[in-house]
Amino acid sequence: MMSAVSMPIGEATIGPFFPGAYVDAGANDLTRWQGRSAQGQLIDIRGRVTEDEGVPLQNVVLEIWQADANGIYRHPADPRAKHADADFFGWGRAATDADGAFHFRTIMPGRTHLPNGTLRAPHINVVVLASGLMRQLQTVMFFEGNAANATDAVLACVHPAAFQEALIAKADGPRKYRFDIRLCGADETPFFED
Amino acid sequence: MSIQVDLVKGAKADTYTIPPIVDGTQPTRIVEGYPQTARRTPSRPLLRRPLTLSELTGPLDLSGRLAATSADVAGQSARRALGQLIVLRLAVRDEDGSPIAGTMVEMWQANAAGRYAHPNDSDHAPLDPHFQGNARVQTDASGNIEIRTIKPGAYPVPGPDRWWRPPHVHFSVWGKVWLSRVVTQMFFPGDPLNEQDLILNAVVDAEARARLVARSVPTQAAPGDALVFEHTVVVRGKRATPTEHA
Ligand SMILES: [Fe+3]
Repeated sequence: MMSAVSMPIGEATIGPFFPGAYVDAGANDLTRWQGRSAQGQLIDIRGRVTEDEGVPLQNVVLEIWQADANGIYRHPADPRAKHADADFFGWGRAATDADGAFHFRTIMPGRTHLPNGTLRAPHINVVVLASGLMRQLQTVMFFEGNAANATDAVLACVHPAAFQEALIAKADGPRKYRFDIRLCGADETPFFED
Repeated sequence: MSIQVDLVKGAKADTYTIPPIVDGTQPTRIVEGYPQTARRTPSRPLLRRPLTLSELTGPLDLSGRLAATSADVAGQSARRALGQLIVLRLAVRDEDGSPIAGTMVEMWQANAAGRYAHPNDSDHAPLDPHFQGNARVQTDASGNIEIRTIKPGAYPVPGPDRWWRPPHVHFSVWGKVWLSRVVTQMFFPGDPLNEQDLILNAVVDAEARARLVARSVPTQAAPGDALVFEHTVVVRGKRATPTEHA
């Protein structure tokens, strides 16, 4: 029965009633897992999600996926997976509050190795799910001040280059970063095909 | 696990791509009559990026991070929810039909009266003290889950363009890589509201729309105290293939 190829099922909005219970307490804290602490530099990431004209959006679900402090993914497709930090899961979820604000606590990801010998800049993949978004939105967060941003293969896809700034989380105090997500409008965040 | 390894084995992981979505098989992003879609959908085209390990890996074993729940949403005896008891047999497959074992599935739905047990649902319909309407279950070794629940009621979407949502169940599924993440809705066969629903009909391809509608199992074939529905969720990911250019 392996011959038939089917298309992925149609996506749909999460609607206004995504259960609050699904944003488990602590799901936005990637630094702690099963009672143990991840290796690496702890960072706080805060931001706001807004729709057109800068209106803040409550009840938006954000999920993130990232490599550990050494740039290794906890997944068998990563050739270095057996060296992944056993205390870092790499995935988290947060929801926005009435001001559209969200918060993740995580560790600064390392540079992931690609089989062709190049390295990605430290980055975090982000998916946005919300009422009124018929399909998920995919974006990527980079970090201000990292020289590797200039050579990242994904960041380089953002044209004109001025739009790349919107994907770079801004330093906002020691070990703190600010990353706002603007879904729609002249200053909107660049999003990628999913 | 062989699927993901195949994705990058001995190749340049930054030269992979996935087949483009066939026109009409995914919902249009802006839906007339659903004004929030226009205010939240990016105005610029989505960017095509090279696929790297970041997209071709993803969270596995999510039960280690998210607490699983009982697959019995309807409850038992005196604590049983009101409404028509149903069993949902959900199959999670990749694009070649291979089962996705051990992946997390989240579901949520309205009660039999069309009301969500959610603070944002201010509809007049009554809550059911015995129905929360959500579950989080991992697929078994065959990529399947079975959820015992009640048939959700229809409910109106408030606003100037008020319309009624047909009975539906929301599903959130991961699959094995970041790009296989999908949030979808399952509809019930034969409901007249299906033809009017703005969300279901945002998928313009009729065949793709039909794949959002569950199959009713003949009652003779499913004895028991519940009506049985089967539904398949196909996640993308396996057909990620190397590009010739790069
Ligand atoms: Fe709904």
